[in-house]
Amino acid sequence: MKSAILGFGISIPSRRITSEEIAHAWKQDPETMKAGLGVTEKSVPDAGEDTFTLAFEAGRQAIELADIKTSQISAVFVGSESHPYAVKPTSGMVAAALECDPFCHCADLEFACKAGTAAMQIVDSMIRSKQISHGLAIGADCAQSKPGDALEYTAAAGAAAFVMGSTDNKNALCQIDQTLSFTTDTPDFWRANGKQHPEHAGRFTGEPAYFHHVREATKGILEVGKIKPEDIDHVVFHMPNAKFPSRIAKELGFTKEQLEHGFIVPTVGNTYSACSPLGLAHVLQQAKKSDRILLVSYGSGAGSDAFLMTMMRDGVALAPDTRETTYINYCEYQKLTAAH
Amino acid sequence: MQSPIYLTGTGQTRFGEHWDMSIKDLMEESIDAAIENAGCTALDIDMVIVANMLGEVASNQAHLGAMAASLLPHHPPALRAEAACASGAVALHTACALLESGKAQTVLVVGVEKMTDIAPSKIAAGLMGAADAEKDAPCGLTFPGIFGLIANRYMHEFNLSRERLNHVSARHHKNGVKNPFAQFRKEIPAEAISMSPKVADPLCMLDCSPISDGAASVVLSTKFESPIKIAASQLATDTLSITDRPTITSFAATKDAMSAALQEANIEREEIAHIELHDCFSIAALISLEDMGFATPGNAIALYEKESPMTINQSGGLKACGHPVAATGIKQVIDVSKQLKNSKSSYGLAHNFGGAAATCGIHILSHA
Amino acid sequence: MEEQPLPAASTFSLMRNTPAAIHRAQKDLQRKLQEGTILSFTTVHHTPEGFPAGPRNIGLIELEDGQKVSGHLISETDQPIAIGMKVLPKMRLSSVNTQGLRTYDVSYEIPVQQTVKQEFPGYVLALTGPSGVGKTTVSVLLSTKVGKYVERVPILTTREPKEGDADEYVHVSPEEFLALKNEGKLATSTCIPSRDEKRWYGYRTEDIDAIWQKKMIPVIITEMNLLQGLSSHYGRRSILSFGLMPPGKSKRQMLSSLLHRLRDRGRDTEKQIEDRLKNAEADLDFFKTRSELFDDVIVNDNVDTVVGQLGGLVLERVKA
Repeated sequence: MKSAILGFGISIPSRRITSEEIAHAWKQDPETMKAGLGVTEKSVPDAGEDTFTLAFEAGRQAIELADIKTSQISAVFVGSESHPYAVKPTSGMVAAALECDPFCHCADLEFACKAGTAAMQIVDSMIRSKQISHGLAIGADCAQSKPGDALEYTAAAGAAAFVMGSTDNKNALCQIDQTLSFTTDTPDFWRANGKQHPEHAGRFTGEPAYFHHVREATKGILEVGKIKPEDIDHVVFHMPNAKFPSRIAKELGFTKEQLEHGFIVPTVGNTYSACSPLGLAHVLQQAKKSDRILLVSYGSGAGSDAFLMTMMRDGVALAPDTRETTYINYCEYQKLTAAH
Repeated sequence: MQSPIYLTGTGQTRFGEHWDMSIKDLMEESIDAAIENAGCTALDIDMVIVANMLGEVASNQAHLGAMAASLLPHHPPALRAEAACASGAVALHTACALLESGKAQTVLVVGVEKMTDIAPSKIAAGLMGAADAEKDAPCGLTFPGIFGLIANRYMHEFNLSRERLNHVSARHHKNGVKNPFAQFRKEIPAEAISMSPKVADPLCMLDCSPISDGAASVVLSTKFESPIKIAASQLATDTLSITDRPTITSFAATKDAMSAALQEANIEREEIAHIELHDCFSIAALISLEDMGFATPGNAIALYEKESPMTINQSGGLKACGHPVAATGIKQVIDVSKQLKNSKSSYGLAHNFGGAAATCGIHILSHA
Repeated sequence: MEEQPLPAASTFSLMRNTPAAIHRAQKDLQRKLQEGTILSFTTVHHTPEGFPAGPRNIGLIELEDGQKVSGHLISETDQPIAIGMKVLPKMRLSSVNTQGLRTYDVSYEIPVQQTVKQEFPGYVLALTGPSGVGKTTVSVLLSTKVGKYVERVPILTTREPKEGDADEYVHVSPEEFLALKNEGKLATSTCIPSRDEKRWYGYRTEDIDAIWQKKMIPVIITEMNLLQGLSSHYGRRSILSFGLMPPGKSKRQMLSSLLHRLRDRGRDTEKQIEDRLKNAEADLDFFKTRSELFDDVIVNDNVDTVVGQLGGLVLERVKA
């Protein structure tokens, strides 16, 4: 028995700051920064947005698309590295705000950028074991970065939510065929208790961290799923910048065309726990029935979750955004992010 | 009134920033002044009623009835009444009820407010207690904001321009020049009103009554006579939140209190020679005149552009005199009594409301 | 979101965002998560304690279910906010108290690309009053007298046509009516429950617009709820609003003269007349409690006098 995604939703703040703007603030060369990271602008949460509000809006959209009643949801799992509280779960707040039935499994997850996909794995297994009929998995973040650090160019904010249920459901959109995880203890990126900004290990975050785990998880799922790269229609890798996913894709035999639909990092930035989930959400809008999808997330610390999925019907476009993106300068950016 | 109630003593402090005076000092000055010109002595006072809204918020001080009573040698019985900015009218109404029932024969009513000791943002938050804490405060509204919503809607419904609205505050400031108790005594040209800094669009700083300290006291008695009587004392209420009303450009509480007051005094509104109305914000003056029936909806501004049959806020109103919240209702009655004595006309009216007119108190005074 | 500074020791602490208060406010959040229309707005430049420094846009919003709320307005663009704009509910962090406890509230976002007609739309002559007072008679005679300048607006209704109905009603099915309502094609509508069914009444904006196109004044026969709705929709000053009262020195006399007129009309059964009289009392009270909705309340003693009065007013407005 498999589970399927019934509906999905996204929430990305409407404010953006360009890499150009950040580079000017720190007297760095904008072209070098853009070429190096491949990110031209990133999303910035405004004063009233936080991980909960983004998770809520994404969840609302997902439930609407899934066309179910919120009372049918029996599990809400939210993965983030910027939960509003260290102790008081975002998932409980989301479940209550969405008016889910109080008899609902809720917990918050942390595994750096793969906490959102970890949430999906848990909901998937609860459905397959018939413990629940419908569940909501959310990846959401308002990522923090130290002023002047390279992460400032990419640490962004956003949320993606998935309503999951049985493949029998009339709205079943995308079946989860397989999922596996590859985990080690690797100190590439961390944030200590009480610290506002994370630390990272520079070039160590490449081969021993991102590439090793994504490679192993991808190889693993291709083997278990008995499928070759050329048979995959859409690939979504975690996108800490534009370079890493492009490089691993090439190495593993995937083309630019396969990456294209979920490749949102250049204009949104790295939304951490929402990153690969948002990539998936974009794919789900454009994929066709029977398309095969490969999703491989990466969370520092470190681990990768890999999913093989099959579209059960044509993808559904989300309602167009009713807001206009507005661009802010570095001064406004500091005002907004100082307290997050 | 069943037995005539006389206004036998009046006294107030100047309204303004009194850094050297506490709540007690303010009360004391106004009480002394009132007893000074009263037709009785301090010892004749049977009861003290204090009107106050922000004692706890601004001064950590409740229990103001006892505090005021202790200023008199015989510390008579006392209580405190509160209805936000209508506390003054409500205290007067309570005094009238005690006098009519015979429970007291001479009552001292003191309205006092000390607002300048804490930051304006804290006072703004405290004043929101006059609205609905659950419906109005959570989105970040202040009272200027509430009246900004009201003004914007009024201008939309009746096509009132910003320029014409200027005449309200300009007239009030002009009137205040001659009032030694007013906080502001300079004339301000109409154009300057809308050029003052914005507070809550479309309202500017000069559309809003100021934050002030002050106290005003009166002595009401059934025993000690005077030429000024209370011909009517009526209260009315409405929903706390403007979100619960069918319209925000008219206040039901004013309409109700007005018709009850006219009936109690047994007069027509045309007989009223002087009114002191509650211009907490310029737009409130226009709406109040319409609700009291002195103008049809949308047309009260004409009373500020031309001469009006009765005087309006001859003292300068809340705008020029200042608005120490609970003192205002008492001060209005004092000013009406002075205007009646001066002009020898027969009737004057004080219109006082709290919040967005969730309470309205109207007193009609008669001059023998 | 700025954290609040710790309050000074001697200051009375405004404990608005206490755990229990936040817990109780949760139910309100659900109610507030509706789309709405801006009835009024303001920009607060000096926010109260506990909120980020201004300026802060706040609106008075009418939600889809008819309830009103005050709410923070989010407007990303430079486009000026206008009364009548539609808004969408968005969950937002509202404030953080001194203990780090967060309060969330619903803000209202103005989607881009909305244009709202700002010019004065025109005048509508509205006649309100209890059944039997003579509204239809007056309006028919008025269109005879100043027919060049006025035209009657048909009332859409879902109730069945009755014998004796003048031509003022346009009968539609409940489905059609609700479709028009949902598409925003009605200037206002109201539902009046009767003994056995719910009856909808309303006016089509295109009927009113068509009369304005002809440079004439629409004449509307209406009742309390529809009048309120018209005033909200077009703005109070667009409505030339007249209440018609039956003759009589007391309420009892007025109701009695209505009773006679209703019997004479011969359109209703005794039971229906009884219902109408009950409503008539409420109508007469409405003139008093909502006097701001009326430019004048006229006693309909002599139909010609009333028609003459109204006719004169129409000519005045038309010339203006």
